Amino acid sequence: MSQRHLLALFNDFDEAVAAISELRAANIKGFDFDDLILKSPIEHPEVETVLGDRPIKVQWFTLAGACMGGLLAFTLVASAQANFFSQIKAGKPIVPLPPDFVLTYEMFILGGVFITILGFLICAGLPAKRSPLYSAKVSEDQIGILVKGDEAAVTAFKAIFTKHKALEIQEEAGK
Amino acid sequence: MGKDIREDIAWAQINKDVLKSLENPKKLYWVILLIAIAMVGVAVGCEIYQYQTGMGVSNKSNSHVWSLYIATFIFWIGMSHSGTLLSAILHLMHADWRKPIYRFAEAMTTFSLMTAGLFVLVHLGRLWMVYYVMPYPNERWVWPNFQSPLVWDMFAIATYLSSSVIFLYVGMIPDLAICRDNIHAGWRKKLYTVLSLGWEGTDRQWRNFRITYLTIACFLIPLAVSVHSIVASDFAMSNMPGWHVTSFPPYFVAGALYSGCAAIITLFVILRYVFKFEEYMTLPIMRKLVRLTFAIAMVWTYLNLIEFSSVWYGHDQTAKDQLIFKATGPYAPYFWAMIFFGSILPLLLAFKRFQTHLPLLFVVSIFLNVGMWLERWMIIGPSFAHGHYPWTWDHDQWPSLVQWGIVFGSFGWFTLLFMVFCKVFPSVSMYEVKEMVYHRTLALKNKPAVKGEH
Amino acid sequence: MSITNLLQNWSDFRQQHPSDERPHQEYKWAMSIDLDLCTGCNACSVACYAENNLPAVGKEKFSHGHSHHWLRIERYWHNEDREYADQGAQFLPMMCQQCEAAPCETVCPVGATNHTADGLNSQVYNRCVGSRYCNANCPYKARYFNWYDYPTTADVWPAPMEQQLNPDVTVRGKGVMEKCTFCVQRLTVAKSNARTEGRSVHDGEVQTACQQACPTGAISFGNLIDPESRVAKQWEKQQVKLNHDKQAKDAVHDGDKLRGYRILENLRTYPSVMYLEQLREGAI
Repeated sequence: MSQRHLLALFNDFDEAVAAISELRAANIKGFDFDDLILKSPIEHPEVETVLGDRPIKVQWFTLAGACMGGLLAFTLVASAQANFFSQIKAGKPIVPLPPDFVLTYEMFILGGVFITILGFLICAGLPAKRSPLYSAKVSEDQIGILVKGDEAAVTAFKAIFTKHKALEIQEEAGK
Repeated sequence: MGKDIREDIAWAQINKDVLKSLENPKKLYWVILLIAIAMVGVAVGCEIYQYQTGMGVSNKSNSHVWSLYIATFIFWIGMSHSGTLLSAILHLMHADWRKPIYRFAEAMTTFSLMTAGLFVLVHLGRLWMVYYVMPYPNERWVWPNFQSPLVWDMFAIATYLSSSVIFLYVGMIPDLAICRDNIHAGWRKKLYTVLSLGWEGTDRQWRNFRITYLTIACFLIPLAVSVHSIVASDFAMSNMPGWHVTSFPPYFVAGALYSGCAAIITLFVILRYVFKFEEYMTLPIMRKLVRLTFAIAMVWTYLNLIEFSSVWYGHDQTAKDQLIFKATGPYAPYFWAMIFFGSILPLLLAFKRFQTHLPLLFVVSIFLNVGMWLERWMIIGPSFAHGHYPWTWDHDQWPSLVQWGIVFGSFGWFTLLFMVFCKVFPSVSMYEVKEMVYHRTLALKNKPAVKGEH
Repeated sequence: MSITNLLQNWSDFRQQHPSDERPHQEYKWAMSIDLDLCTGCNACSVACYAENNLPAVGKEKFSHGHSHHWLRIERYWHNEDREYADQGAQFLPMMCQQCEAAPCETVCPVGATNHTADGLNSQVYNRCVGSRYCNANCPYKARYFNWYDYPTTADVWPAPMEQQLNPDVTVRGKGVMEKCTFCVQRLTVAKSNARTEGRSVHDGEVQTACQQACPTGAISFGNLIDPESRVAKQWEKQQVKLNHDKQAKDAVHDGDKLRGYRILENLRTYPSVMYLEQLREGAI
């Protein structure tokens, strides 16, 4: 069965929240609530709470990146020094720990930052092509709700959106 | 004290105001840009001459092996620290007033780091061999000396520069999407389309964005502190009298935040005036910034006193002699100028009526930075003039015009980068100003309810 | 492979030099300079210029502090209450002290200066990038930077002076640091000759240029490990120990009469050059 996409734009955030809660409560056939996408100009956790528990995994990338960065730095630096053994430096051991810790620390941060960014791109699905249902208004001041459902569900969607004073409803046949 | 921002600014208006700053610049912009390029030209000319002839033309000597380049290097590195302070520390502390001003502060961070990096290169005797400092695998198994604070510097600055560029960029993605949606002509459209990575503001993007931004902010704070501590280690780890001081790292970090905050005040006044950002860069925000600067100035003063008194009461006669030499010798005018600009002048900032007096703040903030530059110069110059070994004392060495030319040009380079940034990227964070307005509206809405409970 | 290396030899890599007990093997080059014998004639400095291809930078560059004397004669004056001021002159030949724990080594970003197996502080010219951190950290300021490209500068070696350049020593280009090497080119030849003959270098077999040129024999140089060498005997007699930052001389009877000292010993650089205090009142 072909899927339809709908984007509704709202001016009032409270109305948008109400619309989402209603979509969630209304058991519309052929519509999975997890497919609902909220598009907003700002980051607001308050509105996102109605979406329910959606997982964030970036922090695991951070942990892995930071640990790897630090470990790698220490191993590489210490073994590079150990291969440079014929050249003692100024009464210091060949593998001096304090300087190596400084470098470990820096690389811990570097690894953390870089892999976090990698994690961000992966988790947020960026870079991506913009979906055809996008309005420049979303980057200005309106909030958008993008839903996906069977053709049969479209009327139900529209009813809920208009009830909550949607300014505009864009519609497009899914792939 | 007034409110940081009006809650009734229309969001579309925010977009419009900020995007206006990206419109084609006026004539004066090009004039200043040309002046900046000319300044860079002077520096490039000096550097080519020095590169061809040898470091001798900078009039350093075997006693004064380091000079203005290193002093100015610390100056620029230091200036880069407040961007992080504003964007990362204040972000973690939920200080909303940072939102309209952190973007340009972060840009300042990035560009002053890029300026500082050039000084390392300019300083080297054999610039063409600079890659020896990098740990790259080679068939001879020769590595850089990981014990050297200069190698730590290399690691720290590389980490800091790349992280702060990333931080600046990631924080800008939603704004770049706004630019993409609103600017439809020419190369800019393409640039914004590519850079915004197809940002749509979906909940998934925002959710991951929030945690990413927070995580990087958490990393950046210890990183910024470590970067300037490591720069301080270049000195504190050596055995030069006057440098071998335990309090150097915090002293450097305080100095860094200080000069950075002063620079933010300067740029605040300029941007507010040029782009007519009165609605966003408001006077209450300036007042908070000035108070912050004042507090840091006092911290710096305190650490300065700590350093002097620990030398004075210590048993290291050489270091003590050097302190006396700084305060009374040929460098005395600069030393006392540093004390005046760094510790006395900021007292003005304590007065309420000066805290929002923009023309005065503009002048004062520039002089604060002059003081901070002198501080760095006082660390380098007199220390080399009056070291451990009396036979090598050289009180008369003065940097040549080649050095001054390169230092002069570095300001042009910074101006150039910053001006290009301001015209290509939004210098006020639009989405965060909206958040600020939104939070304010929410707070106003909830206020009566809160009162009712009591 | 590297990690196995790291784990297997960990204790070696954690060895501290020279304060831990692991003396140099075979050779530890050291010097002692008797200031009582030094007349400040500068012959050592001239010999050093000739031996090590040092550029004579000329009056103007000298006045800017760009001099290149690896071995410099420092003059100090104690001329109060003297009839003739010159009587109060005291001289101190100063060159790289070849510290056992040299401050210059740790700070070099590229590892161009290292501690060698025979106890020298080496300088690798073609590794040097010219950050000049070593000089900044050298308390003696005994390191000299090539501020200009001297080999191509006119009048550094005016013809036919270039004929006397030592073929065993490189000519340094601009932007590198250099310093006294204890005439390492001579040491290398002596060591390799000795190795060919299956023995170690005799005392007096190898001389530094400055030692050779000194008319009063104020400079002695040799292997500190060889107990029969002149320099080892002098160090022994003066009770100066290489790996101590405070010499325990005051503890012994007449310890204060001993003349040996090392310069800025309190900085724990463990220099390899011992000076013998001047006893004479003045230069003349």
